[in-house]
Order: sequence, then structure tokens, then C-alpha cells
Amino acid sequence: MIQISNVSKHYGAFQVLTDCTTSVSKGEVIVVCGPSGSGKSTLIKCVNGLEPFQSGEIVVNGISVGDPKTNLSKLRSHVGMVFQNFELFPHMSITENLAIAQVKVLNRGKDEAIDKGLKLLERVGLKAHAHKFPGQLSGGQQQRVAIARALAMDPICMLFDEPTSALDPEMVNEVLDVMTELAKEGMTMMCVTHEMGFAKRVANRVIFMDQGRIVEDDSKEAFFANPRSERAQQFLAKILHH
Amino acid sequence: MYDFDWSSIPGALPFLWKGMKISLEITIQAVVFGIVWGTLLAMMRLSSVKPLSWFAAGYVNLFRAIPLVMVLLWFFLIVPKFIEQLFGLPPGTDLRLTSAMIGFALFESAYYSEIIRAGIQSVPKGQVAAASALGMTYAQSMRLVVLPQAFRNMVPLLLTQAIILFQDTSLVYVSALADFFGAAYKVGDRDGRLVEMLLFAGAVYFVVCYSASQIVKRLQKKYHPA
Repeated sequence: MIQISNVSKHYGAFQVLTDCTTSVSKGEVIVVCGPSGSGKSTLIKCVNGLEPFQSGEIVVNGISVGDPKTNLSKLRSHVGMVFQNFELFPHMSITENLAIAQVKVLNRGKDEAIDKGLKLLERVGLKAHAHKFPGQLSGGQQQRVAIARALAMDPICMLFDEPTSALDPEMVNEVLDVMTELAKEGMTMMCVTHEMGFAKRVANRVIFMDQGRIVEDDSKEAFFANPRSERAQQFLAKILHH
Repeated sequence: MYDFDWSSIPGALPFLWKGMKISLEITIQAVVFGIVWGTLLAMMRLSSVKPLSWFAAGYVNLFRAIPLVMVLLWFFLIVPKFIEQLFGLPPGTDLRLTSAMIGFALFESAYYSEIIRAGIQSVPKGQVAAASALGMTYAQSMRLVVLPQAFRNMVPLLLTQAIILFQDTSLVYVSALADFFGAAYKVGDRDGRLVEMLLFAGAVYFVVCYSASQIVKRLQKKYHPA
């Protein structure tokens, strides 16, 4: 589904990604973790072309992201993305947030789009809030709406960029529960997150990044039981023992 | 002590009202044109296409660096001849209002574009990323996501600029156009009551602008209660 081959990226002299190679198969759930500044968010944003990269290749569902001839808007319309800060559109109601891209990008009828949006809203347990505006919802609720908004586009895979980092602790689980459901249904997912509990329960594989490089890329069992690199051992020790 | 005589005002009201309509007409069309052209300029200025960005920056800096009254006079001298030729009008057609409107519109767009640029930049970058991630093109993300939020943030500033613009319309007197100020001046001059007429005109400008700015304040409280 997603092939990342030898991707490198730099801002001026600063190397953000160095020779990153990995792949995500259909139905797989990958957790990407690592210290801040390790390039994990940048890597995931390269997958749908939100961040350009200078060398290497990323192929999503047979389409090369870096190819200048690729219609990136079209590719993005079926790669769902969820952001750290939700990024719902504050000037639209929840219903409009869910429908707008379906109507304007996929050319669905308005009624059909609203219908689909409301069904997904029900699925994330927020049907009662359809008429409200994003500012009236809690962070956790907004993030669930953001997931529903991405799902409304019938994505072939989903990218999550630290979806719970901006949330109060008591709201983290409601978002993780939605993500877990999604994984169970067989959605292909690439998640940048520090939620190691989620990784242990749900992930197939864990990628550990440090200083722009993929340091470990292993099954979750192997990663948690016996990380090979010292850097990953230190990271796990810090994040699990408090 | 100066002997005030206000008696020429009542009879002049219809003429003054005609002038007021010209002032308002110029204001409204300059605001509308200024916002439309100013939005395009702001988008050019923020564009990654360098020539567009340079053109917009040059335009804005040029118009903001020369006095309005000069621009008006300049357009009054050049534009009528140009329009006459373009549309094959007989020489001497009265195009003062048209040239004044063009001058104002082009001048004000420079100021509006700066307000709008700040408005666009006030919308978090993540909003554009989210719109793109949903498959929207650049034009769609601007039209559906960025500009609606930008304009909401800008309403008070746009209206304040419109009030300044309304006051500045009095400068069309350089082309002997009878806007509200011009009309008041003409009547006062004719009746030998210039002082009274100008005091009256000043009072009218004050009432209009002060009430408008109070409305802006109220809007500001409604949208940004902080």
C-alpha cells in the first residue's frame, strides 16, 4: 500500500530525513515513534505530499508522490490524515466540516454527503453534536470529528500525526478507542504517537526514528521485548518507566 | 464677532444630498473594487511564484508612497483621454466621476491588500494543511477555508478603512467634481457663506463617520469579545 524508499529531506543545511526506507501493507497498522525532532511527523507528511522531499521515492497505492506529474490533490483525497491540532474548520458546523470535502472534492451530492457524515459521526459517538461548531466541543470530541471527516472520504489508508498529543489526559482514550476500532476493521494505518499502550495492543509493527533515520523497524513483539539499538532502549526505558 | 447666517443651508439641501450620493457612490465602489483587487494582490504577494509576488509588492509600495491627491489629479488628467479613445466617445465627455472612481479604486486596493494579507496570515497554517489533506486544490482551500476565516478576522479593519476612504472622497474637489464637500463649497462660495457651509459639512462628516465607527466597535465586540 505504501512504499517508502531511500527518502531524504533537508531544510537548507539541516538534514531532517536521511535515507528512510519502509513499507506498509494493506490492513497493517504501523506505529512510528521516537524523540521529538526525530523526523517522524515529517516522514508521515511526506506520504501524502504535504512535505516535499529531495530524494528517494514514496509510492502510495501505485502512485508516486514525488513525481511532479502526479495529481497530489487527487491522491490526498483518498489518503486520510488526522492532525495533532484537529484542524477542523472553525467557521463551519460539524455537519459542514464532514460534508464539505465530499461535495467539493469528490463531487458527491449534498444530501448524500451529509448522510454519510452523520453516519460516521454516530460511529464516533457524537451524533448529538452535528449542529454545533468545533469551538463548542472538547479536544477529544474535535479529534473524533476530525477522524470521521477523514473517513467520510472513503480513504484507502489513514495517517495519524500525533493525534492525542494536544489532548488532556482524560480525553486520550476516547480517541484511541476510535483508532482501535478502525484498526480492527482492517484499515491500513500509519500512526505517529507516543501512546505505547496503543502500540502494544493494536500495532503490527513499530518504527523507531532518531535524528531523521529509521533506527528500528520491527514487529511490536520484537520491538518491546528486545529493541536492538541502544537509542531505542533508552527511549523505551524513559517512556515506559514513569 | 462673526455674524453667522445659516439661512442658505435649507435651500441647498437637495444639491448637497446629490453631492453626498456621489461621495457614497465613490466610497462604495472603491471599497468593493478595493476588496476584490486587494484580495487578488494579497494572494499574489503571498504566492510562491516570484514574479507575481514582486508585482504585488511593487504595486502596493508604489501607491502607498504617493499622496492620494496626486493620484486623483493624475487620473483626472490622463484617464479621460484614454477612455475617450478606447470607447470612441466624443472629446469633452464628462468623465470626471469615472476617473475619480478608477483612481480611488486602484489607490485603495493597495491599502486593502495589506489588511487582507495580514488577515490571510492570521489563519493558522494547519488549516491549509487540513484542506490540502482532504484533497482540496489551492484555490479551493483559499476560497472555502482560508478567506472566510480571514475576512471574519478583518471586518473591523475593512470598515475602518472604508470610513477613512469616505473622508478622503472630499479630495475629488481637485477635479471640480461636486461630491458632498465640493457641493458645500460651491453653495457657500455662491452665497458668500463659506464659513457656515464648511462648518455644516464638517458636522455632517463627523456625524456619519462617528456613527459608523461606533457600529464598527459594536461589531468588534460581537466577533472578538476579548
